[in-house]
Amino acid sequence: MEAASIAHAEHHGPPPAHRSSRVKAPMLGMLLFIMSEVMIFGAFFTAYFFIRIVNHNAWPAPGTVIPESVAGINTAILLSSSLTIHWALVSVKTGNRFGLKAGMVATFLLGLTFLTVQVNEYIHLGWAPHDSAQATVFYALTGLHGAHVFIGLCALLIVSIRAFRGHYTPEEHQGMEVPGIYWHFVDAMWIIVFTTIYVL
Amino acid sequence: MTNPLRSESDAFRVLVYFVAVVAVIVLIVLVVRALT
Repeated sequence: MEAASIAHAEHHGPPPAHRSSRVKAPMLGMLLFIMSEVMIFGAFFTAYFFIRIVNHNAWPAPGTVIPESVAGINTAILLSSSLTIHWALVSVKTGNRFGLKAGMVATFLLGLTFLTVQVNEYIHLGWAPHDSAQATVFYALTGLHGAHVFIGLCALLIVSIRAFRGHYTPEEHQGMEVPGIYWHFVDAMWIIVFTTIYVL
Repeated sequence: MTNPLRSESDAFRVLVYFVAVVAVIVLIVLVVRALT
């Protein structure tokens, strides 16, 4: 009787998923997500390439100014935020709870500062996305990146709250690793956007 | 081998290398532009 009920329970519902991959599910999820985001950025950079290189449009558009110095400061802010989140992760691995919390709070505040400066830059640019093709691709690329920063900030807020609640240990902190990888991806994307749109 | 998707520390290392490489490329492009 007992064997029959155990056999029934074993056959009830779908079989467990086959896990032959050596890649952990959260990492695979982040890999696929980042790959799809790289594709989106690639499409926008293709538009930039066609506008500036193929069609030989002036960059920036005549009569417009792109604020490189403000963007340079923003780049320093975002690079600093990558340092602070790395500090947070090193801290959690060594059991340094102060470093973990301070690092996460600093990362969030630096990211928020970046986004605030970006929005302020939009307000004071003096030209709109519909003014020219160059303006459209400028707002599109920086805006797409800004959206990614916003998503990252949401994740960082959750991680920070969990850090303060003591959810992370040196042995169990994968909930920090994945947002940390995403944040470095966002930073790397900004380096590309900054050098192509503002510097070169 | 460094895999930026394996851990945050690998991703950070790749970011540092990436920033250094981009900085060198930008420097070369700006120097070439200034000379031509």
